[in-house]
Amino acid sequence: MPNLHIATLGIERIVPRMADMGVFIRLLSRSALGSPITQYTTHFRGPQKGGEMHIVLVDNGRSARLGMEEFWTSLKCIRCGACMNTCPVYRRSGGLSYGAVYSGPIGAIIDPTFNERKYSTLPFASTMNGSCTNVCPVKINIHEQLYKWRRVLAEHHELPFVKREIMHMAGKLMGQPTLYRTAINGTEVALSSLPRFVLYNWLNPWGKHRELPHPVKQTFHSWYKKNRLKDKKESKGGKA
Amino acid sequence: MSSRDSILATLRANRPDPAAHELPPVAVLGDMDAGKARFEDALQLLGGQILLPQEGDTLATAIARRFPDAKIICSAVPDFEGTIRLEDVASPQQAAATDVLVVRSPFGISEMGSIFLSEAQLNSLNSAAHLTQHIVVILSEKNLTANMHTAYVERPEFHTARYGVLMTGPSATADIQGVLIRGAQGVRSLSVWWE
Repeated sequence: MPNLHIATLGIERIVPRMADMGVFIRLLSRSALGSPITQYTTHFRGPQKGGEMHIVLVDNGRSARLGMEEFWTSLKCIRCGACMNTCPVYRRSGGLSYGAVYSGPIGAIIDPTFNERKYSTLPFASTMNGSCTNVCPVKINIHEQLYKWRRVLAEHHELPFVKREIMHMAGKLMGQPTLYRTAINGTEVALSSLPRFVLYNWLNPWGKHRELPHPVKQTFHSWYKKNRLKDKKESKGGKA
Repeated sequence: MSSRDSILATLRANRPDPAAHELPPVAVLGDMDAGKARFEDALQLLGGQILLPQEGDTLATAIARRFPDAKIICSAVPDFEGTIRLEDVASPQQAAATDVLVVRSPFGISEMGSIFLSEAQLNSLNSAAHLTQHIVVILSEKNLTANMHTAYVERPEFHTARYGVLMTGPSATADIQGVLIRGAQGVRSLSVWWE
């Protein structure tokens, strides 16, 4: 066995008193696996006889994050993984897709503190369903921070050009229902009639390994307009 | 300015107002039952076992019945023979040859079904608790503590042991495809013998 032990840990791992550890040990495994405790819970107080132990406290932007009023509570994370297990995005995409050490919802709010540009798209990969916040044992408002990061990243001009332009266009489109429905109809026609080489090429990296959704004959809105909206008008007219 | 000083300076500048975040009193929460039944339930939930004596059983006969194929039974306690004593295991690597390790734990935690071991019980050969195939832990009911809070507050071992481990059942992992595998990284079974 090597007689040298080097432990590295983030500065936010420190708890004030030994007695406080009970709180966190109890939270950890029941939020992760649902078991009362992990099989091995190890306490290193010093080196083995004749050996050396060194503890390296890593800052790497954590002390600066403590000063970010809207984001500092992410330092409370105990790395249980409850937010990941419940996240509909993480459950489909897996940890590697985040491209960072910390994945899942918690990763999406702490990775940008290490590098805003590199991880600028992570806070956008969320449906804002809030499930992560709901299960977090240390009560981090994860989905609210995801939303706040989107604003911060846009203000800092960290969004890639294409994403920024698409968001801009989508915003305009979705703000005008008539325009939006015309566009949807156009898309359905395009999906069903255009040849493959037009739909699947370098302009559509999304379609590289995936099929585009099947075109539908009728959208829900057009069906509703045709069947229900008419009935409503007629029944109203009858009463009058 | 050293990195230590610059980190501390940033922390002081950025920390929330300490007056608004007083240190809460030490929490002692949850069920205060320090009973044997609660301990056994929790231990079995995580795959641990109780080595129950039959009529006229000693620890040696109980171990022989439970582990009939065991060749090397290593004892870390004065009141049990075994085939080899832990003091005679020359290196941490040699502990890997052990089939069954018999060791006495200073205390258990009822809430979790955990037992505590440190270098004091392992003759400073910490690998013995992990490299052995099976471990039999001698535990006394009077040394049970209710839960994690009472353990950290009451037990002096946390303030003296250099290496202290809470073991709860055999080693287990379910990282791959969600299949639970026992004994992949440590002991294949953990049995408690009441004294």
